[in-house]
Amino acid sequence: MDSNNLFYILLALAFFGAPLAAMLNNKPKISAAVAFGASAMASLVGLIIGADVLLNGPMRLDFPFSSPFGTFAFAVDGLSALFIIIISLVTFAVSIYSLGYVRHYYGKYPVGLMGSLFNIFYVSMIMVVSSSNAIMFLIMWETMSLSSYFLVIFESREKGTVGSGLFYLIMTHIGTAAITIGFILMYSESGSFEFSSFHGAALGMSDLLRSSVFALWLVGFGTKAGIIPFHTWLPMAHPAAPSNISSLMSAVMVKMAIYMLIRCYFGFLGVQDAWWGVVVLAVACISALLGVMYALIESDIKRMLAFSTVENIGIILMALGVAMIFQSYGLKELAALALIAALMHVLSHALFKSLLFMGAGSVLYAAHTRNMEKLGGLAKRMPYTSLMFFIGVLSIAAIPPLTGFVSEWLIFQSMLQSFNIPDAIVKILIPVALGTLAITGALAAAAFLKAYGITFLARPRSEGAERAEEVPGTMLVGMGILSALCILAGVLSFMILPVMDEVTSPLIGVSIGEHLISGFLIVPTVGEFSQMSPLLIGVLLASVFVGVLALTHLYGGRRKVVRAGTWDCGTPLTSRTEYSGRGFSNPINRMFSWVYHPLRVFRSTSHISPYVKSDMRYTSTIEPVFERYFYEPTEAGVRWLARKVSVIQTGSIQTYLGYIFVVLILLLIVLR
Amino acid sequence: MLNSLSLDAINTLAAIILLTDFMLVASSRMRSLTRIFAIQSLALGALAAVVAFETGAEHIYIVAVLSIVLKAVIIPRFIDYATTKIQVKREVEPLVKIPGSLLICAAITLLAYFVTEPLMQQGTAITSNCLAISFASVLIGMFLMVSRRKAITEIIGLLVVENGVFFAAISTTYSMPMIVELGVFFDVLVGVIIMGLFAFRINRTFDSIDTSILRGLKD
Repeated sequence: MDSNNLFYILLALAFFGAPLAAMLNNKPKISAAVAFGASAMASLVGLIIGADVLLNGPMRLDFPFSSPFGTFAFAVDGLSALFIIIISLVTFAVSIYSLGYVRHYYGKYPVGLMGSLFNIFYVSMIMVVSSSNAIMFLIMWETMSLSSYFLVIFESREKGTVGSGLFYLIMTHIGTAAITIGFILMYSESGSFEFSSFHGAALGMSDLLRSSVFALWLVGFGTKAGIIPFHTWLPMAHPAAPSNISSLMSAVMVKMAIYMLIRCYFGFLGVQDAWWGVVVLAVACISALLGVMYALIESDIKRMLAFSTVENIGIILMALGVAMIFQSYGLKELAALALIAALMHVLSHALFKSLLFMGAGSVLYAAHTRNMEKLGGLAKRMPYTSLMFFIGVLSIAAIPPLTGFVSEWLIFQSMLQSFNIPDAIVKILIPVALGTLAITGALAAAAFLKAYGITFLARPRSEGAERAEEVPGTMLVGMGILSALCILAGVLSFMILPVMDEVTSPLIGVSIGEHLISGFLIVPTVGEFSQMSPLLIGVLLASVFVGVLALTHLYGGRRKVVRAGTWDCGTPLTSRTEYSGRGFSNPINRMFSWVYHPLRVFRSTSHISPYVKSDMRYTSTIEPVFERYFYEPTEAGVRWLARKVSVIQTGSIQTYLGYIFVVLILLLIVLR
Repeated sequence: MLNSLSLDAINTLAAIILLTDFMLVASSRMRSLTRIFAIQSLALGALAAVVAFETGAEHIYIVAVLSIVLKAVIIPRFIDYATTKIQVKREVEPLVKIPGSLLICAAITLLAYFVTEPLMQQGTAITSNCLAISFASVLIGMFLMVSRRKAITEIIGLLVVENGVFFAAISTTYSMPMIVELGVFFDVLVGVIIMGLFAFRINRTFDSIDTSILRGLKD
């Protein structure tokens, strides 16, 4: 069966699944099974389509009708296929996870509608990456934004959810406006909305026009991706959304923007100016660093993951920026390496971030809170969730041989090649970015150490955490698939990277597949610069572990286990004596106080003597810099303008007719 | 080309249309407004008939008859019925006083001639007057809508605009295809009925059909 037929099957599954689930809304169990069953099957079909295209070359599915904007068709090439595979992998795991996760919505919220929107959301993402026409793309993009908006406000009776959703809606539409203007500018040059006509159209454009298109797309897609300063919707919308949805949004939906940036910059515009790459790199560095810093001090586990998404998008864009810089200097092999690194990190982040969000969802499901300061002790109560969350944490902290390590190592390697660049200033800038990436990695490790340690270890800090139980099997299976993939994608990366090379070579114009992989080794550049093999590291680590275990068993003598209470100086140890999340991140909070602008308030009351406190309170908040200095002034400006403009809204019909009348007369005179 | 008798007839009827436009602006009573509108529609229908006779296109006869039946009989009757129902007799205090309105309308007419003059070089219309007068008719109709307060006068204004458009169509392209004309007639009829009902509603809700009271509806 060829991919065209499979594509029809995929669409059919989702288009039957969605309305059927909505119709069965009153029977939540059946409805959830139908909806997530359909999406799981559709995503399996998606996987086959992606694999088929990667193996057998691009496919194209034409519609039997045309529109005023050219022909609409689904066109899947290597890049699309890679993203289809990523979307489908995550959706498959999330679908299975959702079967269990939606149980706690039964009777409270319309599960059938969620399942229905879930299918629409999945299909819209598939269509976004397979659109062949700018207008068709925009329709799909909008479908994706709207369906995700409705999913974000699913728990509409929770406080703040609808507001967060609205903010997301506004931000995403500002982004879409910028994207649309970019496409219209391209259309003015190429004379068609077909993506195929955009290729090379940029050659005829003036520098100013080309750079405006570049900037518009950076803002437009950057808003969706969550680059700073357009990141504020992520920490609002991700926690508000149900966890299975935030998992999809954070792991996959924001990547649609990365997909389009690669397609637009390398495909349509053709990178010519080095400063474009420098701009992308700068934005990326700021996003990565600030993203992880905000993640570190956050104690809401889902908000923390959302900030971490901002950080990882920053890392991906760093690689993309470096690729653009290399490409502009004609260093195609290095550009290909950097772009492969970016795509590898897209895959890595999709795997571990969806895993972590599902883990956070499981915690929420079991302990009914997202606040780390109220959790703790879950490792004993939820051992499997804990293990799988830990794999995600290791992966995001770039511990070898997991997938996060491979992609970040490749990004480092590509940036280390910056000495090949002829321009001295750019040559200096990239090592600065390298330093940023290094500190980002360190802080990310700290942030996830905190997230895991405070949430899962020690003793429970609240009733909810005390009574937590392991989540249902389907949720564990969903997470298990992704944890296995996190390990496999790292260890077997020597099999994945050639595929990435196949995807990037048409965009860059050169293939580095021959020397990138030799046996189990990854060799980024020709010569004796560096090489690494995650498989061998994995084997080494495992054999050391097994060896040590065997040796201790053989020569360690008999083990004696004695259980006794910890010495507590006479004060009983409770959860209040535990290290808190805020305490953990406080040193960094102080170190970077020029970033956080923290506001600490310490209050205590004492009755008898100043040494005996009856009540002590400590609050520490950070200044929301972007909200205060960027969004609030902007909002005030818009409101001011609206008030000024509202003068013409008099409310009288005669005035409105008068406007039309006067404009008509003026037009008649001017255009006579 | 046309024979001189028809040409004279068309010119005269066009003049009547322009004259009735001015009379509409000048009159301050509801009943006379509807009468004058009926006369204008009658003239327009007659004009259509002359054009039909000249061009030999039979469907324009149907258009002419429909125009007369609908716009010279049914719609004025309906509006009269509506005004007696709501009991409006006078168009009190138009936003622009009547002498001022007449001066503005004169200016509008000049503008219409000024604007259509380059078009007349092509010489597609029956006479150079027709297109200019149709323009003037459209603009004066709009001016009526802008400057009057009562909902009923707004309706009359819109009908005058429609008459102007119809006149332009007849005089430049010898009327649109039959089906389009029928559609337009139907639109006008339904539009008037709906607007009449709205006038009832506005009257019931606000005890007046003074649309300037609707100002309170803005947020």
